Amino acid sequence: MSSFGSVPVKILYALLSIFIVMNIGLLLQGVTRKIYARVSKRIGIRFYQPYIDLVKNYFLRDLVSHGVMFYLGPIFRLTSGVGMILFIPLIYGSPVFSNFSFSGDAVLVLYFMFFGTLGMALGSGESGQPYSAIGVARGLAQVTAAEIPLILSFLAVFIQYQTLSISTIVGAQQGGFMHWTMITNPLATATALLAFLGSMMRSPFDVVLAPQEIPIGPPTEYHGAFLGILQTNRAIFPIAKTILYVNLFFGGAGNWFEFIIKAFLLYMWSVVVGTVFPRYRVDHSIRWFLKVPLALGLLSIIFLQIG
Amino acid sequence: MVDQLFFNPIYIIGIGLAAAFFLGFFHRGTLAPRIIMVAVTAAFTIISLAWMQAFLLQGQTAEHGQAAAQVFTAGFQPPFSINLRMGAEEAFLTLLINISGLLGGIYLLDTLKKMGSHAVSVFIILIMGMNGIIMTRDIFNLFVFMEIVSIAVAGLIVLQKETNSLAAGFKYMIAAGIISVFLLLGIILAYAVGGSLNIDFLTAADLPGAKAGMIALFFLVIALLLELKPFPANGWALDVYDAAPAGVSAILAAAGSAAAYYALVKILPLGSSSHYTLVAAAGAVTFLGSNLLGLKQHRGRRLLGYSSVGQVGLLLIILGFSEVLGAQRDYIAAGIILSHSLAKAILFWLAGMLKQDGLEAWAALRKKPILLILFGSAVFALVGFPPFPSFFAKWELILLLNGGRFYLWSAVILGASFLEAVYLFRWFGYALKMDNEKLAEPEAPLFRLLPPIVFGILLYGAGWYMGSILEGFANFSYIPLAFILFLALIDRLPAWIKNTVSIAGVTFYIIDLYPRLEGDLLRLIFAGIFLIGAVLTLLSGYYYKGRRAGFYPLALTMFAGLAVLIEAANLLEFFYGWELMTIGSYFLLIRGKKSMPHGYSYMLFSVGGSFAMLFGFSLAAAGAGSIAMSALTGVTVLPMLAYSLMLVGFLTKTASVGLHIWLPGAHGEAVADIHFMASAILLKAGVFGLITVLLGMGAEASYTGPILFVLGWIGALSALLGNISASFQESAKRLLAWSSIGQLGYIVFGLATMSHLGWLIAISYSVTHFLYKGILFLVIGGIALKLGTPYMYKMGGLIKRMPFSFLAVLIAIITLSGVPPLVGFAAKWITYNLIISEGIYYQGFIVLISGIVAFLYLFRMIYTMFLGQLKDNLRTVREINIWFLIPVYLLLAAIMVLSFFPNMLLRPVGEMLSGYFPDGAIAWTGTLGTTRLGYYDGGAIMYVIGGIFVAALLFFFSLRKRTQQVKQFNIFYSGEAPSRPELSHFSYNFFAHYQKAIGVLTLPLVTNFWNWLSGILHGTADFFRRIYTGNGQTYAYHLVLYIVVVFFLQRGGM
Amino acid sequence: MNFGSLALGLGFLLILIGFWGLLTQKNLIKIVIGFSVVDTGVHIIMVGIGYLQGRTAPILDAALMQRTAAAGNQAGASADVGSLIVDPVPQALVLTAIVIGLGITALLLAYVVRLHEQRQSLDISSYEDLKW
Repeated sequence: MSSFGSVPVKILYALLSIFIVMNIGLLLQGVTRKIYARVSKRIGIRFYQPYIDLVKNYFLRDLVSHGVMFYLGPIFRLTSGVGMILFIPLIYGSPVFSNFSFSGDAVLVLYFMFFGTLGMALGSGESGQPYSAIGVARGLAQVTAAEIPLILSFLAVFIQYQTLSISTIVGAQQGGFMHWTMITNPLATATALLAFLGSMMRSPFDVVLAPQEIPIGPPTEYHGAFLGILQTNRAIFPIAKTILYVNLFFGGAGNWFEFIIKAFLLYMWSVVVGTVFPRYRVDHSIRWFLKVPLALGLLSIIFLQIG
Repeated sequence: MVDQLFFNPIYIIGIGLAAAFFLGFFHRGTLAPRIIMVAVTAAFTIISLAWMQAFLLQGQTAEHGQAAAQVFTAGFQPPFSINLRMGAEEAFLTLLINISGLLGGIYLLDTLKKMGSHAVSVFIILIMGMNGIIMTRDIFNLFVFMEIVSIAVAGLIVLQKETNSLAAGFKYMIAAGIISVFLLLGIILAYAVGGSLNIDFLTAADLPGAKAGMIALFFLVIALLLELKPFPANGWALDVYDAAPAGVSAILAAAGSAAAYYALVKILPLGSSSHYTLVAAAGAVTFLGSNLLGLKQHRGRRLLGYSSVGQVGLLLIILGFSEVLGAQRDYIAAGIILSHSLAKAILFWLAGMLKQDGLEAWAALRKKPILLILFGSAVFALVGFPPFPSFFAKWELILLLNGGRFYLWSAVILGASFLEAVYLFRWFGYALKMDNEKLAEPEAPLFRLLPPIVFGILLYGAGWYMGSILEGFANFSYIPLAFILFLALIDRLPAWIKNTVSIAGVTFYIIDLYPRLEGDLLRLIFAGIFLIGAVLTLLSGYYYKGRRAGFYPLALTMFAGLAVLIEAANLLEFFYGWELMTIGSYFLLIRGKKSMPHGYSYMLFSVGGSFAMLFGFSLAAAGAGSIAMSALTGVTVLPMLAYSLMLVGFLTKTASVGLHIWLPGAHGEAVADIHFMASAILLKAGVFGLITVLLGMGAEASYTGPILFVLGWIGALSALLGNISASFQESAKRLLAWSSIGQLGYIVFGLATMSHLGWLIAISYSVTHFLYKGILFLVIGGIALKLGTPYMYKMGGLIKRMPFSFLAVLIAIITLSGVPPLVGFAAKWITYNLIISEGIYYQGFIVLISGIVAFLYLFRMIYTMFLGQLKDNLRTVREINIWFLIPVYLLLAAIMVLSFFPNMLLRPVGEMLSGYFPDGAIAWTGTLGTTRLGYYDGGAIMYVIGGIFVAALLFFFSLRKRTQQVKQFNIFYSGEAPSRPELSHFSYNFFAHYQKAIGVLTLPLVTNFWNWLSGILHGTADFFRRIYTGNGQTYAYHLVLYIVVVFFLQRGGM
Repeated sequence: MNFGSLALGLGFLLILIGFWGLLTQKNLIKIVIGFSVVDTGVHIIMVGIGYLQGRTAPILDAALMQRTAAAGNQAGASADVGSLIVDPVPQALVLTAIVIGLGITALLLAYVVRLHEQRQSLDISSYEDLKW
């Protein structure tokens, strides 16, 4: 698997992957905010506003630090987002854009997601900002519930294809959309889509950041270049998650065009739901995940066992 | 050969009578009578000792050995004269009686002084009478001696001037009178049928053959049985134990019970098997009933009465099963008698030193540590712990009973023993932990202190001897125990010396052990966890300034037990090690300030678990016909029950759900380094046990399916429950304790799958849990020790004060949570592989969710302790003790090495496991592991993630920002500055919303269940103990009723 | 009806009466008396069991020797002296038992005296402090 290229070449392609994904992410952010605005009958920002914000933040002169862990928090966060991109085979069949996926399979990606969360939580924790801690507590509580459908749907996929390797799963879905997991295992896909909502930090599950309520939760104390890094990550990370779903449930992407279309559509699923539904409280969202998504997830595994 | 001229047993009778007679000439209060008493009892002891050593050295029946001696009186042969017998049994029992008499007399010196010289002669007569009961071969003579003993006891009591004692004596005499009536009737009928009073002639006469003979036997047996105080016709005996002078009660319990037991031993061969059954049944009812009723007793002396009666019940069971136990009956009985007599005498003697009799008042013993040690030794001896004789006796008893398929009987024995443990350990806990400031110091002048100390030494010596003559235990190495004894002897030295000695001892042991384990990776791994863990914890022990009294012998007892587990050559040694470890760990866990209830519940679960294990082992041995470790493989006798019981036994130590309620408190209150021992090391003993049993059980047989299914769910639910509960703890130590339950749940789950990957998880978890939990316990424990509180909301911002601690905790929690790149991730990855390849989706799903839940408590812990706002009172705290940090960083280094090279651990373990489970192994190329399903390259992950991290950091530095470090309160706070850190440190009830959503899962259902069960037992005890109304006449009714009921039951049975 | 059976019946009756007293009377002295009666009953039974119809006291004197010789002549062989006398052992036992019974009774009465000194009561239900 690691037969391709020398290390410097690999690093160059990795940088290219990150660059592409970051741009997709930033554009999607801009578009999303525009949609939000239009739904609430505002004109909204220019779609390239995220670029401007990013540049502005990176060029702010001063930084205020609360300590080492505070300082490293955003770095952890970015490492996690970038790592996700590099551990997921982005384009099916392309050894170049499979980057470092030889290091581990889907389980690695699943658990590496938490790397940034943990680092960020620790960094914001050191700031002494109580709202950050509140945001993290909410986030952790909610994620344990949101992981229930996530794990169930992923398990269903792994069981269905009898592999943990992402590229093998994508390979098994080739040959027309009738082979996609979406069609071959609709229950698992439905469960996964519900879980997806829980992980995208959008309404109704945005109680972690909860603007207006706990300023913006964990990143409250971050500003300037710190915020720039977080924003970079916020562009990359959702796309990484999205592409993971695309790989597992929607046949993967054979080229960058397919990649963008599928990522956009899946991304919009959380945006549409987010614009329509108001925010859940933590205990509500936990109970919600323990009802329909849990049942669906269990059903998907039961069906696999029967069939 | 024993010289009959000097050591003729009849001298005991003669000297006794003569001394008692001449004592009448002395005046009240002079010293001479008491000197004579000591001399006389010493002479008795020497006679018994001479015979005993002859039998021990030469054997009883060997060609050149010492034959049992018959002594004839009045120049005639029986049946025309009375004869005495002095065989090995008699020598042993008279020795016991005479030593009790000698030491008991010394203990009573000042009591007897007050009572006068008459009391001294009565005392001598009492001892002589008991000797007579043992030695005589004539049933009428037996009656006479028994009456002498009764009258002597009552005579000693009547000299007391206290109403309760007098009332007790009166009740006792009434009972003794009634018993004597039936005994006389039995004797005369036996004579009428058999034509002789000599036991040996009567045996030949075949009494059961005749109807009148049966009636005679019934009277004889029932009378002697009643003499042994069978439940429930024993209210009078309880009163005597309660109200007689403590020294007298001690002799009654120690010597009296043995004498009465032996009287029945002599009479029973006259009867038929139905009489043996009767005795066994009466014993079982007594053992169970008496210990049940003891549960509610809150006065020490009376409780000792209950316990004595119970132990005699156990003896009756042994006697009743003579045929089944065969040649081992006397070994077993001797073990029980020794433990019971010595321990009970010690306890009564201790009771006599105390001013108050409530169980709580025994905390006064703490003022004289030697007394506490004696108390503890006695309690452990009574319950049947090693190194005491009862341990071996109970082992042999259960083994033989289950070998003969008397499962119900052994269950009753173990159940009743458990009830005894319930009250004994509650009591001992009081003595260890109850407030004793207002209690008077125990009165222990030398003459009172000497007897219990001698008996204490004898108790240990007897334990050693009983073990050494038991096949299967003769090769046991006592060197570690000798080392512990040495540590106990140097306990007065400062802690650092003892610490160094201990570390040297353990290190030496490791060096000695290693060659013996080479090639056996499984044992090597667990030996590493146990013993390297021992060295590391001991290393942290240097933090302690002062003496740390009693810590080292007990800690080393635990480690010695663990080492015995590893080295055990057979089930007996294994069980011995297990119990040794339990003792050590109990004392360690109960050292915490508020640990009394928790140490208690730990002990109860341990005792219950070890009894379950004992039952299981005995079934295994019954099938295999040997007690070699291989007996665990392919058990044939009730295999499902056997394996389930063994597993339950080990699950008590892994604190799996249902049996876990002791752990949060016990661990949560323990001191830092003890916490490390108890959690990171001790729990692994349970894992080792599970592995041992499961390897024997395999997964082929049909009964394994349900067992493994249940075990898997126990593991999965432990993981979930442990992790969720951990999230709701305010105390960091309790949080870690619950976390251990969860982590052990993963291990149990892994083992239950009985697959290559599952076991790989279990074993690698055992190692990594040891590493990261070791770090957490030492650091968190060190902090709690430093700050004086384990409550996380009282901390905060400690990263500024304790950066090294923070780093260690950070690495540990990343490992624990399984986030890449550290080694914890390997376990998560294998878990996914396992779940899918073995198709255990639902349990697996629960386990995976539990892993996510772990983030909750991990973050909560590290945030509320190290991050957030530093409290004002903590602004000057320093880093935790360097002796904690050293082992922590050693463990940390191990984690880092394993993270880069997970194959260093996983590959050899996998190869070893392929011997048991060849399918589904991980293929390794360098650091890349591949399964049928997926792949994982620990080294590559480390490099990639490290690379990205460094790149991101370099990128950030390249922005060249001016960074300003700001003060603590400089945060966004609605434009205000928070006035106090407490107001802006979000920590208390951290997951309130989570609790609201799913708190229902953590309702203490299991705790409630056990409380409910305990409530029922205590309620039953309280209800039934009201049969002891205190009225002498009621007790007479009980006796008569007992006879009538037994008579009709016996007739129905015939 | 011989003396042996009579003694057995009487002894049995005495035991029953004694037990009745022992178990129903509240007065300590009456209880002791009850015990004494039981004890006497037992002694009578012991003697009754040892008694054999038509035999003489076990005293080896000249008269007995003559009777032995006579019995021997009747049977045409030398007779055993043991077949003419009642068994001496039960009687010896009874003597011992009486002594022991006396000792127990005396001790019981001593207790009654002591108890009465303590509480000035002879009712057994006054001494129930130790229980459960």
